[in-house]
Amino acid sequence: MVVPGLARYVVAALLILLAGLPAAQAHESRPAYLEIKETAPGQYALLFRTPVLAGRRLPLVLSLPAGVKELRAPVVQELTDSLVERRWIDAGPDGLAGQRVDIKGLQFTITDALVRIELLDGRTVQTIARPSQPWVEIAATQAWWEVMGTYATEGIRHILFGVDHLLFVLGLLLIVGNRWMLVKTVTAFTVAHSITLAIATLGVANVPALPLNAAIALSILFLGPEIVRVWRGETSFTIRHPWVVAFAFGLLHGFGFATALTSAGLPPQDLPLALLSFNVGVELGQLGFVLLVLAMERSFRVLEIRWPRWVEALPGYAVGTLGAFWTIQRVALLIAAWR
Amino acid sequence: MKGACALRVRSRIAAVLAMALACGPARAHLQTSGMGPVCDGLAHFLTSPEDLVPALALALLAGLRGAAYGRSAMFTLPAAWLLGSLAGLSAAVANAGTLGASFWFLLLGGLVVADAKLSLRSMTALCAFLGLVHGYLNGSGMGLSAAAIVAALGLTAAVFVLVSLVAALVVQLRAPWARIAVRVAGSWIAASGLLMIGWSIRGV
Repeated sequence: MVVPGLARYVVAALLILLAGLPAAQAHESRPAYLEIKETAPGQYALLFRTPVLAGRRLPLVLSLPAGVKELRAPVVQELTDSLVERRWIDAGPDGLAGQRVDIKGLQFTITDALVRIELLDGRTVQTIARPSQPWVEIAATQAWWEVMGTYATEGIRHILFGVDHLLFVLGLLLIVGNRWMLVKTVTAFTVAHSITLAIATLGVANVPALPLNAAIALSILFLGPEIVRVWRGETSFTIRHPWVVAFAFGLLHGFGFATALTSAGLPPQDLPLALLSFNVGVELGQLGFVLLVLAMERSFRVLEIRWPRWVEALPGYAVGTLGAFWTIQRVALLIAAWR
Repeated sequence: MKGACALRVRSRIAAVLAMALACGPARAHLQTSGMGPVCDGLAHFLTSPEDLVPALALALLAGLRGAAYGRSAMFTLPAAWLLGSLAGLSAAVANAGTLGASFWFLLLGGLVVADAKLSLRSMTALCAFLGLVHGYLNGSGMGLSAAAIVAALGLTAAVFVLVSLVAALVVQLRAPWARIAVRVAGSWIAASGLLMIGWSIRGV
């Protein structure tokens, strides 16, 4: 076992902590999107999209600098998964350069807002407003590596706070039998979710969020009984070929990762770079998690810690229980939405 | 002879710990990461040298002494840190200030440099004391709330992971030069403590 009993206690404790995060339901922390486009000197068209889940909209309000005038009445459009607000403003002869646009209410959420600013001189700036800094400043030109950094960071955050994805990876770690199989399994998961992340982000295919989330929860629940089989010394197709299961369910998880980008509604010209850097971020976060689990397991072995049997079983039960909980919760949401 | 030596070590530790306990008034300082209270706790620990470095030094010391010491540190320090944090939640805001942190740097760095042959009991007591003091100081900056309790759990998890990884890493070191390198790291910690004390005294 790559992750034998010793590692399980701490992993379980970490999981319990992580499960307590408000962001525990990865796809419910989809980012908002703000686009600011300069249409004439000092005049801008704003598009502000906030995600809606189960009929609830994030309570975010755009706050523009003093002195900004509305050129015409704002238009609000309700979509199934988001609420889109369009505004047209005049910021005077100096425009919005050096000014700050606040997203009020963001500090009380667990989500980010992707911001894209297009100026008349051809400059494009992409940045992220976060709960810890719920505003953006219209500033200088952004180099391509800064854009990459922005989306790579978003990818890392998305996987590290998408506890369901991490729990699935942990379940795989508990099943795989040796290091070579671990490499195969993690690679299969990576390849699979990269494929569907690209497909969904490029708009080739799309999966509605509610059934997708329920299916992702089901993939975690699926691993629970397999972990128990490993404990009992039994075997199954999943235990013999975990990489196949990782690949199959990885396709689902990739659609889940894509919600962070597609729900933002990014312009087509930004997609390749955003997709690449976001995926790099996701892989870095996933690799970091796997390495941390392996390092902890090795530490426990070196420090010769012997855990009680019930402690060893905790991570497996955490995977199964949380998988079951999320499955029930998300299926209930799905049924409620259908009604 | 051995007993007298151990007694001397203990009395010196006690004297320095007494200085480390001398807390002055200061300010609350739990960071807001914007990613929930667990991450606030994690981020606080990982970005606060006055908390991170003593825990690191203790892990190095435990690792130098072997697996049993490492086990003791990895459970005692986080447990004491959590207890201290919970006790501090309802307390008035306190902070050891630069001088208090400097003493911890000096003490623990010095023990690592000396490769001090502490008994397991002394090591456990040292871990408990460090955890309680720093936990209390962290807790007093958070204020009593559900989020603060969760943040304390995040902080505790960070301490546990750091001590486990570092202690195990040092336990594995067999080459003499590698153990010397760990002691050199201890000397840097002690030197940082001395420097900070100097700055505090000069009022920099």
